Amino acid sequence: MAAAIETINLTKTYKTRGGARVDVVDNLDLHVEEGEIFGFLGPNGAGKTTTIKMLLGIIYPTSGEGFVLGKEIGDMDVHRLISYLPEKPYYYEHMTGMEILRFYASLFGIKDDEKCQRLLEKVNLASDATKTISQYSKGMQQRIGLAQSLLNDPKLLFLDEPTGGLDPIAHIEIRDLILQFREEGKTCFISSHELSDVERICDRVAIINKGRIAAQGPLDELLKGGRIEITANGLEEPFAHSFRDTLPSAIVSFSHGRLILDVPDEIDINPILDAIRDKNGQVASVIPRRKRLEDLFVETISEDDPKRAREDAARKKEESK
Amino acid sequence: MRVILSIASTTVGEAIRRRVLLIILLIGVLFLAVAPGLTVLSARQERTVLIGMTLGIIQLTSAVIAIVLTVYMIPNEIERRTIYTILCKPVQRWQFLVGKYLGAVAALGLMMALMTIVLVLVFALQQGVQQMDQLVLLAKAPAMFFVQMSLLAAVAIFFSTFVSPLVNFFLSGGLYLVGSLFNSFFEVISSNPNSPALAKGFATFANTILPNFANYNVQNPIINPGQIIENESIYYVRVTIYGLLYIGILLVGGIVIFDRREV
Ligand SMILES: Nc1ncnc2c1ncn2[C@@H]1O[C@H](COP(=O)(O)OP(=O)(O)OP(=O)(O)O)[C@@H](O)[C@H]1O
Ligand SMILES: [Mg+2]
Repeated sequence: MAAAIETINLTKTYKTRGGARVDVVDNLDLHVEEGEIFGFLGPNGAGKTTTIKMLLGIIYPTSGEGFVLGKEIGDMDVHRLISYLPEKPYYYEHMTGMEILRFYASLFGIKDDEKCQRLLEKVNLASDATKTISQYSKGMQQRIGLAQSLLNDPKLLFLDEPTGGLDPIAHIEIRDLILQFREEGKTCFISSHELSDVERICDRVAIINKGRIAAQGPLDELLKGGRIEITANGLEEPFAHSFRDTLPSAIVSFSHGRLILDVPDEIDINPILDAIRDKNGQVASVIPRRKRLEDLFVETISEDDPKRAREDAARKKEESK
Repeated sequence: MRVILSIASTTVGEAIRRRVLLIILLIGVLFLAVAPGLTVLSARQERTVLIGMTLGIIQLTSAVIAIVLTVYMIPNEIERRTIYTILCKPVQRWQFLVGKYLGAVAALGLMMALMTIVLVLVFALQQGVQQMDQLVLLAKAPAMFFVQMSLLAAVAIFFSTFVSPLVNFFLSGGLYLVGSLFNSFFEVISSNPNSPALAKGFATFANTILPNFANYNVQNPIINPGQIIENESIYYVRVTIYGLLYIGILLVGGIVIFDRREV
């Protein structure tokens, strides 16, 4: 299968007020297959929106290359085949839902009221077609945005936080719409903080941190390796804390004699249980948990941050020499 | 072309709903309506003074509208991220900029047409309908003002591609004042053989490079003393072509900057 999106060393550098240069997107190598739902994840300020804007030709890369549907970024022919739902968008407030769709359709040279009507129905706005955008709620604005992004039957959709600010029902509706896009053979590139949604619908994900990829791959591969949560009562604090040294991969929490130990499932837990019983602790529960995207995310970022800090320190040292 | 027209018509729709513009327009119209009551001169003088005054009101109001309308146009699109939803479609940046400009000019035209209608009504009420042909002649000055304001809007759009709205407000406003008040002054210096070379050079330079807004103040011989108009219609055509050329240059400059710019 062909790549829908491919970037090679894509980099965007901004100058700060102080004159320092910050690589907001730093040698990014992304690979998105046609027909898949791709989750683009990362903490606030990681560079997700900046990357999307570069792929759309709204801002220009400082260096590196990017290809969208096989063409170099900025190619106008590609703009007929893609669409973009920006984060926190704002549409012309004086226009009605129907007028907005007509306007965006005209930018593609499309004149088709029936299609606009169908799209309004698709996003559940048919009965609000004559209200102006200023009368729309946040969720309705997000849905009109989704409708306008479907006007050209795009092959590739860029959705930047498509469910931001939506209620749970609207959330599910949008999730279902995105799944429907995959059925129709469209590629979806989704930036989102809703990890449970991403986990449910995405085929592959990339987690970026400070402009660099910290993890990228098929979701089921990345989520290999679950965790086990052990809860035990009647223990002393020093003993509980000793696990921090003996089990570096464990997350230890302790309060009022209760120890909660969260360990990777590849560890043999019998010695742990024995040790607890030796100290006269009572094991209250042992709960195996399959790995969640949330765990992967926190793990990836918390491993990546010190690594980046070390690299930065090393580079500084190198520079000062 | 469709794309440009779509963007332009949407811009008109937005502009004629902007409260601040409507308020400025309303103030202008109010002044026009009460202007006849403000003069205490003999009937003969009154007419000349009144014409000068009302045309002045139209010109000032239009200039303020032209600047306020255009300095925020591009920055607002960027701040509200509406521009992203447009530029990710098959829309080139130049199409966007030209569409925005044409929309601004159309909105400006609508508002100026409204003021001109009020002007004609005021005179018709005051002096009777029997002088209708004279009233139509009155509307010629606003037509020239429209070319002037289109040029002013192009100046503001050009600056809006790289300076903030506030700076732009003073830049465009300042250029308008200099271009309409000092142009004849520059002309005098540059054509006077006795003026120092440096001043002469500067005046010639300023006179050539700055948009000559004074061209369009045809009704005002006080501001434009040197202007001897032998053939009126040729003069109108000439300054209109000058305006269009200048607008074209400004738009091309704006596009070149806007194309490279991050939005
Ligand atoms: N025009 C700009 N000039 C300077 N810095 C910028 C500019 N635009 C973005 N940045 C910086 O780039 C970084 C990445 O921003 P970006 O919007 O891409 O983050 P994001 O991953 O989308 O975050 P979020 O999840 O909060 O939406 C931020 O630190 C931001 O401050
Ligand atoms: Mg973002």
